[in-house]
Amino acid sequence: MSVLSKAAYFWRSAAGGLKHAPFVHFIAVSTIAIALFAAGLARGASHVVDNLLASLGGEVEVTIYLAPQLGQDEVHGVHTRVVELSHGEVTVVPPEAALLRLKHELGDLGEALSELPENPLPATLELRVPEARRSPAALQTLAKELRALPGVTGVDYGEAAVERLSAIARALSFGALVALVVVLGTTIVIVAATLQLAIYARREEIEIQKLVGATDRFVKTPFLLEGLLQGLLGALVALGGLWLFGRLLGPTLGSLFAFILGPGVNAPWVETRTVVELLAAGCALGLGGSFVAVGRFLRV
Amino acid sequence: MSGPFLGVLRGRGRLSGLALPVMIQFFHVYKAYPGDPPVLQDINLNVEKGEFVFLTGPSGAGKTTLLKLIFCGEKATKGQILVGGKNIARIRESAVPYLRRNIGVVFQDFKLLPHRSVADNVGFTLDVLGVPRAEGREKVHRMLKRVGLEHKANSLPLRLSGGEQQRVVIARALVNDPTILLADEPTGNLDPALTVEIMDLLTDINIRGTTVMVATHDATLLSRYQKRTVRLERGLIVSDEDGVKAARRMLV
Repeated sequence: MSVLSKAAYFWRSAAGGLKHAPFVHFIAVSTIAIALFAAGLARGASHVVDNLLASLGGEVEVTIYLAPQLGQDEVHGVHTRVVELSHGEVTVVPPEAALLRLKHELGDLGEALSELPENPLPATLELRVPEARRSPAALQTLAKELRALPGVTGVDYGEAAVERLSAIARALSFGALVALVVVLGTTIVIVAATLQLAIYARREEIEIQKLVGATDRFVKTPFLLEGLLQGLLGALVALGGLWLFGRLLGPTLGSLFAFILGPGVNAPWVETRTVVELLAAGCALGLGGSFVAVGRFLRV
Repeated sequence: MSGPFLGVLRGRGRLSGLALPVMIQFFHVYKAYPGDPPVLQDINLNVEKGEFVFLTGPSGAGKTTLLKLIFCGEKATKGQILVGGKNIARIRESAVPYLRRNIGVVFQDFKLLPHRSVADNVGFTLDVLGVPRAEGREKVHRMLKRVGLEHKANSLPLRLSGGEQQRVVIARALVNDPTILLADEPTGNLDPALTVEIMDLLTDINIRGTTVMVATHDATLLSRYQKRTVRLERGLIVSDEDGVKAARRMLV
């Protein structure tokens, strides 16, 4: 009974604290909301970049050059091994077909190829990689495995382009991580500062609480809950903002960039997972800030 | 007597000659702040359960400090203090709140929360103890009735007179039935009529069994109420007399 009464008192006191200094708490809630909204946007953007990388990986067709002396059966054997390794779609391009394609690509100059005493081009296999293996890292591993196959003399998958893109993606994730740490750190400091003001505003109340027999935990708990409430409110505002962003700007962005961003650009900005993550992050930020404030400024 | 002190009290009555338990004991207590002369020196004092004691002396004699030592508002520099048989000179910091729940304190400067109603101020102590709201409201109402302020339950403290504010403080100090009531200059800011009103209230509380210690430098109170009087001067107990003796001396 006493525990329930105390719990009810703590929540009443925390909510009362929010009402007591609305402007100060508005600043804290807004800061948390902006930080979480930015995190939500960054998360959505990273989805888009991932999709872009995956779709580019799919466009980069892997060409496997075979040794010229291979017979038809051996070519067929390599074809089977490549299918087994990649689980992708593999097309055999015989030397004659390759020469024809080259002639066609060279246009008028292609006639010069008829003067060659023999066809210099080897048979090749063209591989369309399944979606699961389209990431730069998976492509690199696959190329390594293919190069090791007997009868294969070379593998080309536009390595430089893919590596540049993945370097950009890596830089983006690192930058986002650094920005996230800075934003979260700043948010915690701001939340702590607002709670410091709340503690200062209620110093008389704290003094009287101590004099009538309140334990340290009793004095501190409402402030921790106040931080938690700030975090929850901030997360709800951020989620609302993301939902609105998705509703108002999502379709426009989708139609503007669909040609480069590919599938996934129209994915919803607020999913169940995002809701859970942002609410948890909001609670963590609010509690983190209040722990700092209570630890540093509440000397009871 | 009620509460956790019951089983630990073992003292004997000093003045009455009856076997009364001792509620507060000071043994060679000193209190000093670094760089200053001692505030209290070699204090030896016994206060029995249910006793009413005036603590008197000029300003700066150490009355407030002595009261603060009892509810652990300050720590003694040297010596032992037993409250309800418990040595509070060695008490753990975490045990202090539980000790304070048995001691009501009436502060000279009231220490009321200006933005909370009278009822909320009185109920503040019950919130700390986790008393359910409905039960708390009932207790608060009963206590406000006892101090004659039930009609002011929803008023803000600053709208009340000095005497009424002091009665709110007394109600807050008593709402959880403490064993000891400490009052520091409870009539310091009041006119004579209100002084009588507050002192009558404290006397009534004492008659109901609460041990009361009142710090005051008002000589008229001592002669009017004729209670045991402990006189402090420059941190030393210079006299400890029963009410009649003290009143007689005041008249002389």
